Amino acid sequence: MANMAVSRIKREFKEVMRSEEIVQCSIKIELVNDSWTELRGEIAGPPDTPYEGGKFVLEIKVPETYPFNPPKVRFITRIWHPNISSVTGAICLDILKDNWAAAMTLRTVLLSLQALLAAAEPDDPQDAVVAYQFKDKHDLFVLTARHWTNAYAGGPTTFPDCDSKIQRLKDMGIDEHDARAVLSKENWNLEKATECLFS
Amino acid sequence: MGNCLKINSPDDISLLRGSESFSGQDGGPMPVYQHEPMTQVFYPTSSSSPDAADAGNRISEEEQIKIAKRIALVQHLPIGTYDGNSKKARECVICMVEFCVDEAVRYLPCMHIYHVHCIDDWLIRSLTCPSCLEPVDAALLTSYETT
Repeated sequence: MANMAVSRIKREFKEVMRSEEIVQCSIKIELVNDSWTELRGEIAGPPDTPYEGGKFVLEIKVPETYPFNPPKVRFITRIWHPNISSVTGAICLDILKDNWAAAMTLRTVLLSLQALLAAAEPDDPQDAVVAYQFKDKHDLFVLTARHWTNAYAGGPTTFPDCDSKIQRLKDMGIDEHDARAVLSKENWNLEKATECLFS
Repeated sequence: MGNCLKINSPDDISLLRGSESFSGQDGGPMPVYQHEPMTQVFYPTSSSSPDAADAGNRISEEEQIKIAKRIALVQHLPIGTYDGNSKKARECVICMVEFCVDEAVRYLPCMHIYHVHCIDDWLIRSLTCPSCLEPVDAALLTSYETT
């Protein structure tokens, strides 16, 4: 069983390396250890989304029972998305759970995640706070997601207003990421964020 | 499964022993007393400890039965040998190894083919075709009706 997992991952690795998406730099994959049980994936944020221009790194753990069970995947790069935890990077995607099929591969998983970035499903959220913002204050959601893409994934758009609010909280001794997380959650309302942090 | 055979060992000890191993070893003077242990023992051995107050055990047992049923179902799917010139898949998408000519392959109702051991392992987990996600059991059940 374990042998099949390893031999399949080796073949898939070659498949990804030969794929068009690699040539276009839209997905990437590399080994973490020699035992082929852990890999690192990378997907480019899809165009015309708040994630455009960002590179998102993924942790991929291959279970011994692969391909009969799905790989365990999570975002290492922080991301603001309804179906991905802004705290842990855990992903809510059906094919990584019950709808996994043995014919799926690392390549199709990475492409599916890219598709998830382009088409969130806020009614089946992993991060309730983000999902609420997505539905209730969509403009702020887009701004926040783009800001996170800039801060963590190398995205191009900077938001001086966000940065200055984060700086204000940093001046109060708050860690930069904590400040960003609280402000994001509080729809960039500095007063509410401060209240949330100090009450 | 018979009971009440006439054998003369009427004490309690032999009653217990009889119920453990053989069906009709004990008979004797107290039929009422005898019947109870008989029924109590035989339920457990036929459906293996139903009320053992061990929920965890029971779940895995249900799963075992489910798996056994699936294995039986899967055995009805036809097996053929791979003829190298077919236009179908050249490799088994589960293990990603190419088929060899004359190798045993299992056909799913959707006509996707796989190595027998690969697809059997998959079907025990999920009764769908790994390639097209077509449910396998529905097709099997309709084929039962026609035959």
